[in-house]
Amino acid sequence: MSTQPVSLSRDLTIKQVMRAELGDVDMAVWRSASGVVSAWENRCPHRGMRLSHGFVRGESLACAYHGWHYNCAGACHYIPAHPELAPPKTIKANAYNIAEASGIIWVNATGNVAPIDIPSSTVPVRSIPIACPVESALNGFSKHTHQSLLTQHTQAEIIADTPYVLALTPVGSNSVGVYIAFQHVNDSTTVAHITATDNASMNDVVALSRWANEVRDITEFSAGVSE
Amino acid sequence: MSFTLHDYVLSGNCYKVRLLAQLLEVSYTINPVDFHPGKAHKSPSFLALNPHGTLPVLESGDTVLTDSAAMLVWIAQQHDKQHTWWPINDAECLAMTVQWLGFSSQLTESIGQLRLHTMLNRPADAETLRRQSIRHLRELENHLTEQSIRGQAFLCGKQPTVADIACFAYTALSPDAGLEHTLYPGIRGWLHRIRCLEGFLTMPGIYEAHETRNEHTAAS
Amino acid sequence: MNAALEHALQDWYPVAMVGELAPGECKHSKLLGVDITVLANHAGNATESTPTITVRADGAPVDVQQAFDHWWVCLGNKPRSLFTIEEASEADRRFVPCGVVRVACSPLRAVENFLDIAHFPFVHTGVLGAEPHTEVYKYDVKVDESVDEVIATNIKFYQPQAAKSAEGGIQTEYIYRVPAPMAAVLYKTCPLKPDALDVIALFVQPLDEQTCDVWPWMALYDDTSTQAELIQFQQLIFLQDRSILENQLPKKLPLDPGQEIPTKADYTSVAYRRWLKKRGAYYGALEVHP
Ligand SMILES: N[C@@H](CCC(=O)N[C@@H](CS)C(=O)NCC(=O)O)C(=O)O
Ligand code: FES
Ligand SMILES: [Fe+2]
Repeated sequence: MSTQPVSLSRDLTIKQVMRAELGDVDMAVWRSASGVVSAWENRCPHRGMRLSHGFVRGESLACAYHGWHYNCAGACHYIPAHPELAPPKTIKANAYNIAEASGIIWVNATGNVAPIDIPSSTVPVRSIPIACPVESALNGFSKHTHQSLLTQHTQAEIIADTPYVLALTPVGSNSVGVYIAFQHVNDSTTVAHITATDNASMNDVVALSRWANEVRDITEFSAGVSE
Repeated sequence: MSFTLHDYVLSGNCYKVRLLAQLLEVSYTINPVDFHPGKAHKSPSFLALNPHGTLPVLESGDTVLTDSAAMLVWIAQQHDKQHTWWPINDAECLAMTVQWLGFSSQLTESIGQLRLHTMLNRPADAETLRRQSIRHLRELENHLTEQSIRGQAFLCGKQPTVADIACFAYTALSPDAGLEHTLYPGIRGWLHRIRCLEGFLTMPGIYEAHETRNEHTAAS
Repeated sequence: MNAALEHALQDWYPVAMVGELAPGECKHSKLLGVDITVLANHAGNATESTPTITVRADGAPVDVQQAFDHWWVCLGNKPRSLFTIEEASEADRRFVPCGVVRVACSPLRAVENFLDIAHFPFVHTGVLGAEPHTEVYKYDVKVDESVDEVIATNIKFYQPQAAKSAEGGIQTEYIYRVPAPMAAVLYKTCPLKPDALDVIALFVQPLDEQTCDVWPWMALYDDTSTQAELIQFQQLIFLQDRSILENQLPKKLPLDPGQEIPTKADYTSVAYRRWLKKRGAYYGALEVHP
């Protein structure tokens, strides 16, 4: 397993928790009230409830089932059924390595996290799921560049391959650049996390969001799936 | 005007009315109808009230409404003093509200039906419903993504309208039908914002907004 | 055939409510991985108010019996006897079959959740529990050897709305009973009749090891609520549990201690898992290596 993007930073706001999947790894990713981001195995040690269904209180993630509270280090520090009890140190959520860089949250479930350095990419566009393998998605976004924002002469360059990151750099006068980091969810699901260079206007970003949806339709159609 | 809501606890369409009434602090009377397993909404006495044989039904004096979107408008028109939920003073926002109210009834036909099939064993063409449901979730996600890019937290602007309530129900309940929100970040953020509204009301399948309470140490 | 299935085949499971199907009406379902059809017979004599049923598994007719407002079937060749619920014959109770709910979870996880009180404040907030009343006080659990059932007693919990008939919060007392691997019965304080106990049961029809149809049933003292009110109160509660049950991992119930972390509040669940293991009731459980 390698480092993978799981979300745009924008889409995981304070006190939110989400689920992310990387192959067989099911994880809960959450942001505390002070902004600390964590990614854990999506399984409460108590009775196996998915922690992504839980709720954030201050600097803790609490489980939806019996409300056990875990701090940012993953240690359980409060069991509501036994309010006076100091939970044993051995009760811990299984944490993965996580980093936030270039407006993206990156996780490695099995080793050190090595975010891909995306130069000057600061404007989030969207994360869009595509029902196809990662190679087809990569191919789709390389071929179907945006008609006006990204000119015919756009250079599509794969700037990283574990995970895949695609850079679309227009050669023409319009200089909005686009970066796409691909999350390999499984062999039939890919998520494209899309950002743009900071000269993109709000209308550009809306246009890129629509373009991503079109590329998805075309890519899924040619991959023979239609959702 | 006070009213009676002929209601079923697991119905998303009934929930829309309960939710708006709670948010606007409107009191009303509930008449539970045995939808499952009793099929009481197909009984002759119920059909005399609503020939469509659907829930909810709102009754107030001589007024009988049989469509949840109509009920939301009826309630907001009387009780939304600020005109934000039913934004009659803002032509564009009002038009958008009507548009998304229309979309909400499509959600009943896709996610709502798939949910009855998945949860209560209603016979249905599950594969077709699943595809339609995903198409609807994607359409909603596209719109909410654009809204958040424009700095608008809700479907029709910066404030929630009755259309948010109408679309919230079956979108929030889609996991009941086996469709998770994992791959829809725009929807996820929007659901969270609605759940955290002051006076929010839950139903089974939608978690209580425990995060809006104090930490346990501060609990009194 | 594997031992887990062979064991499970000898028990009785609900497949329909009495009166659910009209004469001649048929439905398809599944039990322990086997396709079944349930057919309502045409009445033999006019005095019969509800039709009897015929159940076929893979085309062959199987044994059926009627109990607790449901039809029960056993697919095995050495059926154990169906457990009893004495209160089912008390004429002054209200009997409330609540219909079926499908849940994508192990039938054993559905039963275990029913035995758990610590989740009330978080899953059934404002009804069966509420913060800060989260503490689970010490209670007693044992296996009653005379009937080979798990039984938990002396359970007390604060509840904001213990039943449809409750007005305001009360300290509720509970007794839990597991009379079969896929059934559980609870007895709780009756708000309208303080010297009596309401009975609520969960009858589970295992479709396979990771999917079940759940048939809640109640025997209550309540002469004020309508049947629809009582059913919807129970559905409100059970459908809150459904969201939890579909999200527990692993899907099958781990029986080996050490895979999950119980506390004192979980003694009933610990006893249940031990009891399942001892009887070899592994259908819906993770592989156990003795
Ligand atoms: N347009 C109606 C549709 C209502 C509707 O479809 N309700 C469902 C329950 S949520 C129903 O009663 N269905 C009848 C049935 O499925 O038997 C509304 O929004 O109120
Ligand atoms: S399963 Fe998480 S607190 Fe019990
Ligand atoms: Fe429960």
